Amino acid sequence: MTEREILQYTLQKLEAAGAQAAHCSLLRSTKQEMNVEAGQMSLIRTVFSTNLHLMAIKEQRKGTYTINKLDLASIDKGILEVIEIAESSEPDSANGIADFQAPQKFTVGDTEPDLDGMYERLNAFLETVKERYPSIMLENVYLDFTHYNSFFMNSNGVDFTTSKGMYHFSAMFAGKEGEKSSSFNYSGFATKELDKALIEGGSLDLLLQQSCEQVNTQSFAGKFTGDVIVTPDCLGDFIGTFLDISIRDGALIAGTSVYKERIGKQIADSQLTVHSKPIADEIIDGYFLTSDGYKASNSTIIDKGVLTTFLLSLYGANKTGLDRAVNSGGCYVIEPGNSELAEIVRNVDRGILLARYSGGYPSQDGDFSGVAKNSYYIENGEIKYPITETMIAGNIAEMLLNVRDISRERISFGNAIVPWICFSGVTISGK
Amino acid sequence: MLTSNLQEYVPQFTGYTELRMQENRNLSIGFLKGNNTRNVKSTTSGISARVYQHGAWGFASSPDFTSESFRLVIASAGHNAQFLAKKANLGKPQLPVNSGAGSNSFATTKPRLKQRQLIDFIKQLDSYIGDKYPDLSSRSVSLNCLDMEKSLLTSDGSEAYSLIPRTIIAVSLTMDSEGKPLDLYDVFGGLGQFEDVFDNPEVLYGRIDSLYEHIRAKQSGVYASAGVKECILDPELAGILAHEAIGHTTEADLVLGGSIAANYLNKEVASPLVTLIDFANTAMGQTCPVPVYIDDEGTEADDAYIIDQGVLKGYMHNKESANHFKVAPTGNGRAYQFSDEPLIRMRNTAIMPGQSKLAAMISSVEDGYYLIRPNNGQADTTSEFMFGVVLGYEIKSGKLGRGIKDTTISGVAFDMLKTITMISDDMQWSAAGMCGKKQPIPTGMGGPAIKCRVNIGGR
Repeated sequence: MTEREILQYTLQKLEAAGAQAAHCSLLRSTKQEMNVEAGQMSLIRTVFSTNLHLMAIKEQRKGTYTINKLDLASIDKGILEVIEIAESSEPDSANGIADFQAPQKFTVGDTEPDLDGMYERLNAFLETVKERYPSIMLENVYLDFTHYNSFFMNSNGVDFTTSKGMYHFSAMFAGKEGEKSSSFNYSGFATKELDKALIEGGSLDLLLQQSCEQVNTQSFAGKFTGDVIVTPDCLGDFIGTFLDISIRDGALIAGTSVYKERIGKQIADSQLTVHSKPIADEIIDGYFLTSDGYKASNSTIIDKGVLTTFLLSLYGANKTGLDRAVNSGGCYVIEPGNSELAEIVRNVDRGILLARYSGGYPSQDGDFSGVAKNSYYIENGEIKYPITETMIAGNIAEMLLNVRDISRERISFGNAIVPWICFSGVTISGK
Repeated sequence: MLTSNLQEYVPQFTGYTELRMQENRNLSIGFLKGNNTRNVKSTTSGISARVYQHGAWGFASSPDFTSESFRLVIASAGHNAQFLAKKANLGKPQLPVNSGAGSNSFATTKPRLKQRQLIDFIKQLDSYIGDKYPDLSSRSVSLNCLDMEKSLLTSDGSEAYSLIPRTIIAVSLTMDSEGKPLDLYDVFGGLGQFEDVFDNPEVLYGRIDSLYEHIRAKQSGVYASAGVKECILDPELAGILAHEAIGHTTEADLVLGGSIAANYLNKEVASPLVTLIDFANTAMGQTCPVPVYIDDEGTEADDAYIIDQGVLKGYMHNKESANHFKVAPTGNGRAYQFSDEPLIRMRNTAIMPGQSKLAAMISSVEDGYYLIRPNNGQADTTSEFMFGVVLGYEIKSGKLGRGIKDTTISGVAFDMLKTITMISDDMQWSAAGMCGKKQPIPTGMGGPAIKCRVNIGGR
């Protein structure tokens, strides 16, 4: 059977077994991955994957089962299993599946990797780092190409096909001179083509340079309330994480979200506009469908500081009576500001440039505290020195209201485009 | 049972080869404020081969168990190793021969419960909380079960089978505090399938009541005063310290990648009271939460002695790193899925118990904190660490005082360990977390309570 025939067979069998609604997805992928360990090429992986996901609703009871086999015996067993899981669930009228939409096929990227090209790009990265940043130790680096075909169908007639091929690069590294080391740092990006040197992607070159500087750090004494310029690599720990905590199903169903009645209200400084753009051209590594099986659209989550949408799934929307989101979040594009980063630094009386945050997961109300890693002390508008043993604490909901400036420069990671943002009023503690 | 005659594929091996069959079975049930929001199962299985040629590794995996798939995977892994060996000319030595054999299963011998019975178990816990504590603004109860079943054959003679299950129930309570949500969690369970770990939900009521008392104390609690303080770290925090701040820095691949621990071998890195071991499978006569008998490279797993009475004595190794350091492999090569290559991972990392009583340790603190529960932890290769702390109390004049709000502790582990002045004579393990290092993997963390000086974040 073809993939689509497998899904048609599965849906028919589920309905015959008593499911009033069902959806199924099938994914077949191949990953080719080249790995570097301790600065040397170490491993090439080839991973063939299959994933068949079954969801059935019977008398308002939902069950979900995932297998990775496509022989008929395994599929038939999976159908019985998902029906048993559904029958065991508590009934919930909020369970549902996506409405009918016109069938569509989505395609992005190549279907086959350029293996020689991958090797050459990765080897060139190793050589460039060795030459340009001799004190860098590469701990774990990989470049992969993953291609998948995925198929989604449901009992309302939804029928989507996606073909996607993408390269992903990730590097973890530290500076080391004699017995002195920097903290490790890491970054990466996604790309459709290997059309430029890996070191030029995302923020890698900048971070490698900084790790060399960060072999020699200083601590400072005392505690103060100051400005924190959060770098693009680090911003997701604040904005992305807090959106996950506060505007998705969990917090809104539980009623614990600090933004539960704030749609249309100012929740951030008017300089801040955050989009989720899974299908925008500028987002290379996006997605086309929500997990419920709706065709994804781009949306604006915070528009000049005003919260415009939650990120509710179909279940979350049915449960709360609020609107379903037009996408599943992520793929964040934050609008640039009007100032150069250098100018933002010049306007800081006292604060830090926060390049990596090692912190406790923020609480539901947004309180956080953690360590500023790979970061720099700023005083009188100048970056003074890399810091060690420095903690920061604050509240993310309050930080969003205290945006002091947003940089004109942004970094594209393939799945997000993010500027530097300066927040005021953060507690910074030295040793 | 996941078994096959892997021996029939030996003639296809080219050089050093590992051939593994694996199945991971996950089950997850969740209740959120009385709603059954999750009822999910998955089964992921397949085969993988890893080949070593002239210093280069090749790996391939497939979800299919057919003979053709075995041949394809072995050939692809060999091709990958050849491709890299030819291009990179790594010139590394052959791997040491260190074969092990064995079969270890922790499958229950009791009749397996139906999904509905599991749902009813979790629902009863949820209802207990909802009925008894109506002042909570939200609650969640979840069950997560993971079975990892593996068969392994290596070209140097290892042959192993294992089924290592884990069953965890997590309870989280949320309460309003000055108009904002405040939450606290606890987890129960560990090694074994559900039927061997849990019997009656009522057994957990006492721990839920205790959790409620703690969140009430936290609700009326205060923010910790920032700075370096004398603290008692409860076993959960001592365990995460052992794992994150010391364990990761002493994984041999990170040592080769620049970890600060490379500078400290045979040097004093902690108080002489501190002995820290990554146990393979058995500690003090008891089976550890995540027992590893033969690792995924086929090495018979041995305990890795990291710190002995304050002195750094060794690292955790796979075959390749053991070769580099000219020591015996410790059996730390572990893979999460069939499609993952073995990496150097911890197993059951613990600080060994001392001789003090917890009550005496608390009494000895004039002005400090008793810190009980982390919510996460991170450390880097400098051994600088950070742990979120979601449960703790003030200690004033040797007595426990007010609860504290969420906070963070941080420091440089190899400095902080030197400040330890007391270690309790008891020991607790936790095994609820997943360690992340390219792949997730279950690990055990353990320890006694320790008295130390540590930087605590305030507000």
